[in-house]
Amino acid sequence: MQNNSTVKNQNNISWESVLELVYDSKIDSVGLKERVSSLATRSIKKDSKLQALNMIVSMCDLTTLEGEDTEGKISQMAAKAINPDPSDGEINSVAAVCVYPALVATAKEKVLNSSVKVAAVSSYFPSGQVPMDSKILDTQYAIEAGADEIDIVINRKAFLEGDYRKVFDEIVALKEVCKDVHLKTILEVGDLKTYENIRKASLISLAAGSDFIKTSTGKLSVGSSREACYVMLKAVLDYKRLTGLSAGIKVAGGIRDSKDAIRYLVLINEEMGDEWLSPDLFRFGASSLLDDVLKQIKKLKTGAYQAGYYFPRG
Amino acid sequence: MIEIKKTFKNYVDGKYVRSESGKTFNIEFKNSLYEVPLTSKKDIRDAVTSSKSGFKKWTSVSPYTKTQILYRLSEMIEGNRDSYIDLLVSSGVSKSNAVKDVNNSIEKIIWFAGLADKWEQLAGNLNPVSGDFFNISHQNPIGVVFSLNKDSNSLYTLLSGILPPLTVGCSVISFSETSSILALKFAEDINNSDIPDGTLNIMSGDFNKVSEDISKHVEINLISLHEELDINELKVIEENASESVKRIKYLPQLEGLSSILPYLETKTVWHPKGT
Repeated sequence: MQNNSTVKNQNNISWESVLELVYDSKIDSVGLKERVSSLATRSIKKDSKLQALNMIVSMCDLTTLEGEDTEGKISQMAAKAINPDPSDGEINSVAAVCVYPALVATAKEKVLNSSVKVAAVSSYFPSGQVPMDSKILDTQYAIEAGADEIDIVINRKAFLEGDYRKVFDEIVALKEVCKDVHLKTILEVGDLKTYENIRKASLISLAAGSDFIKTSTGKLSVGSSREACYVMLKAVLDYKRLTGLSAGIKVAGGIRDSKDAIRYLVLINEEMGDEWLSPDLFRFGASSLLDDVLKQIKKLKTGAYQAGYYFPRG
Repeated sequence: MIEIKKTFKNYVDGKYVRSESGKTFNIEFKNSLYEVPLTSKKDIRDAVTSSKSGFKKWTSVSPYTKTQILYRLSEMIEGNRDSYIDLLVSSGVSKSNAVKDVNNSIEKIIWFAGLADKWEQLAGNLNPVSGDFFNISHQNPIGVVFSLNKDSNSLYTLLSGILPPLTVGCSVISFSETSSILALKFAEDINNSDIPDGTLNIMSGDFNKVSEDISKHVEINLISLHEELDINELKVIEENASESVKRIKYLPQLEGLSSILPYLETKTVWHPKGT
């Protein structure tokens, strides 16, 4: 591990300037909740709703991260990712499929010749409780297997013990392994507990070279929340002011219906502008969200509420 | 003593809710004017989502336990019989008819409670076929049932739309119009009887305002009409429903075993006779 404090990451940000940002992390949680809930009252209807729903489909990372995942399951999911609703030719493909490293090769083969990317969770997702060498191996394996994007977890043990430097260094090291491969860093906001911690972890991850910061693993009962997303987007904006770089945000865990997802889009649009309304900078990690979005699109087009069994499984 | 008037609400997914639209309509009884929820399209959608999961919960309850739960429902009504009689009288029913109505209702529930673990024997069949096969007509609950109740202040009539589908394992959205007070009161006893949340949702409103969404909703499997509709209105509903092959049945008051048959669908199973 690098202990030299002058070491800089790829974005050329020194540890000192990260520290400065991190220690200036006071958040007015009452004001935050007020702002987020006031944005949740926007009513998005008809044409705008359809546009939003189509956008959500193109921003989805279709995910399966279970011990029971098989090649068959991945191939079923990949088919759905490429063509989420075969009965409607206007529906986009989703952004990516997200799998464990062992299944990257299978996933890559199945989405070949489509716009769908393959994301792999690595660094011993979801706990990340292994030595650094293992995390690097895990990540290297996923990249060699063909992953376009890598989702890692921050070292929550180090973070909660106050060893922010270790958190930073680990991400820097993993970004070095990733090179041009997109790096998404999962903060696991449910473990961080406070908004201040979420802001600190966001800034550390961004400064260390993450291309995306992501709310949750989806393995905790506490998943993403719009408040957590708000804190993270503010950090992304501050980071942009500092470096000129636009990092992305991925929200995951517990976003099950279209209404909730649209509220996230409102939040992003109001606070960050439409630059972020693109799969390159904003993603939903969800398995059940997509089904509800497809149902709602069909409802808007036909006027009839739909049943889940009319859509592909995966 | 201060007189406390009750605000009746819809009963959806085990909770008492107002209409999300905030709209209400009035029902006038002898000494009271009630403001009850005017169910909106979104309320219907929520109720169907809840009924869908309610159906899963209710079908996984064993017939034996269904019997006990329905029996408990009759116990709950028995304990509240005076309040039912008062409400019926206040709606304009004579005292003696009100007493009769509640007594008959309790008996009806007990009869259906008994049927819950017996209807499969009575409605299913082993069919004669020429060949070494068993050919079995296996009866299954049809799924989510939307029931438009008859406009009448009678608990017995209300139960005629609810108990048959419930007994065979369907989940029910029970919709009443001008006589909805009784149904909304009945929801309180459903809540106390261990029927899983979402299995029985009770709503009040104007059927015309929501009929399009109901007839088009793919996840409703059967619409049972206990109130006669205008022929043109029925035609539109039937056309909408045909898109999702939804069944629509006009069901006058049926009694006994024949009352459950509309809520069943038959699965035919062929099985070789083994030796």
